[in-house]
Amino acid sequence: MNWNMILYTVLNTAFVLLFAPLLVSLIKKVKAMCQGRRGTPLLQTYFQLFKLFKKEIIYSDNSSFIMRISPYLNIAFLLVASIFIPIVFIPAQESGFGNIILFLYLMVCARFFMALSGLDAGSTFGGMGSSREMTIASIIEPTTLMACAAIAFILKTTNIPEMFGTVLDGSILQYPTLFLVPSSLFIILIVETARVPVDNPETHLELTMVHEAMILEQSGPKLALMELSYGIKQLILMALLINILFPWGMATDATAAGILISIASFIVKALILAVVMGVFESFFAKIRFFRLPDFFMIAFFLSFATIVFELLS
Amino acid sequence: MIDTIIFNDIIHGLFVLILGTAALIINQRSLTSLFNIYAAQSLILAVMAIVLFIEYGTLNLLFIAILTLAVKTIFIPLFLHKVLKRISVKRDLQFMFLSPASSILISAILIFVVYLFFTNIAGDLFADRLILLVGVIGIALALMGMMVIFSRKRVITKTVGYLTMENGVLLFSLFMAEMPFIIEILIVLDLLMIIVLSAVLAFGIDSGMEEFHKKLNRLGIWIED
Repeated sequence: MNWNMILYTVLNTAFVLLFAPLLVSLIKKVKAMCQGRRGTPLLQTYFQLFKLFKKEIIYSDNSSFIMRISPYLNIAFLLVASIFIPIVFIPAQESGFGNIILFLYLMVCARFFMALSGLDAGSTFGGMGSSREMTIASIIEPTTLMACAAIAFILKTTNIPEMFGTVLDGSILQYPTLFLVPSSLFIILIVETARVPVDNPETHLELTMVHEAMILEQSGPKLALMELSYGIKQLILMALLINILFPWGMATDATAAGILISIASFIVKALILAVVMGVFESFFAKIRFFRLPDFFMIAFFLSFATIVFELLS
Repeated sequence: MIDTIIFNDIIHGLFVLILGTAALIINQRSLTSLFNIYAAQSLILAVMAIVLFIEYGTLNLLFIAILTLAVKTIFIPLFLHKVLKRISVKRDLQFMFLSPASSILISAILIFVVYLFFTNIAGDLFADRLILLVGVIGIALALMGMMVIFSRKRVITKTVGYLTMENGVLLFSLFMAEMPFIIEILIVLDLLMIIVLSAVLAFGIDSGMEEFHKKLNRLGIWIED
């Protein structure tokens, strides 16, 4: 652990924490505009989090310690996972850092505790959300693994910072097979962040809800942590997609100018992707729950095809 | 002539799009979108033929591109849309034997099997990696079309399966213009396509296979035992 690494960890985590809520509200804003509404202000998610942090916490009488610790565990897992995705600059290699399989497992751990806390309060609604979340997870996990395996196979490494570095050094033109990856990563992004064809993040009322049902029993600062970790999850998955496809502008060493440029370029790219996601969402209606596997299978198919493509070229 | 790397990238990108459209054809339920996806797939093939024409300069390829563009991206989809307007069916929700999810899974396995076959058994035939890739994608596309034919219930969707199959063979032949056998397969498939299209046009496009047989039986074209 050298100074470079510490600087990287602090900067990356701070950036993720500060920037994540903005993307959440931007997507909401884009969706509102697509529907002809004015929408909430862009800083609304920050206000919301601030308000929630000041409120008191109320627990159900039936809830156990799981309910109390799961928000902390959830955000901790996701913050550790966020360190694996370099945004501010690509740090020098450290052993045991940045492995994509470990990254996936961290995400799964966060999801596990979220589902557990949904069950914990004993309300039927939360239990239903958890059950659905686990059903979706068991179908999307193989797809996610396959997509990550395809990326690792193309770039010949399982280390995420090294992957970004490889694409940054060469060009995407050297890896034509990478063209197949974005569509499956995009579908994974939609599923993992509980967006429209799969789930609706806007509402607490519909019977279709998955993510919102699980955090229904949380209140006050704990709810704020859950909301924030949702934003972080979205941001790191977007960063994975962006940095594998368009890593240009990212700095490879820790100079002030380099860091500023990579942050600025990332913000621009992330805002564009957020707008794309908002528009994409507006075009779709929610898919029936039992039809979801069809949607995931397209991502699986494309990831599998990527591997065959790579074998052939 | 285009730069080799860029040429390879364009070709790869187009292959990716073709595979994507094939996956969509397997699980799309709305008939309107199904025809649009088919038109898009044919358009990609036409673009590919044009790119190959610019690279190799064979006039044959240009004709293929024009033919594909005229017939498969404009005429056939328009015709199908027109037919769709007259019938009451707007969606094909029935699947036989396989759910769409499992047929996509199987087509992924199919691609891999075709790949194994081409590299292990027919590997010597294909010195060029690009030709090998084309072979795998083309044959896999034809097999996926076949899967559409047997997993869909409506006759009109089966037709799209035939058309996809034909696209696969066309893709294969684009890169091997000197193989007359391929052309023959293409013609046979075209014939099949025309037969299905015209039969469907004549005898109730909105019926399932069984009713269709009955209708044919009544007319004395198909004798059932």
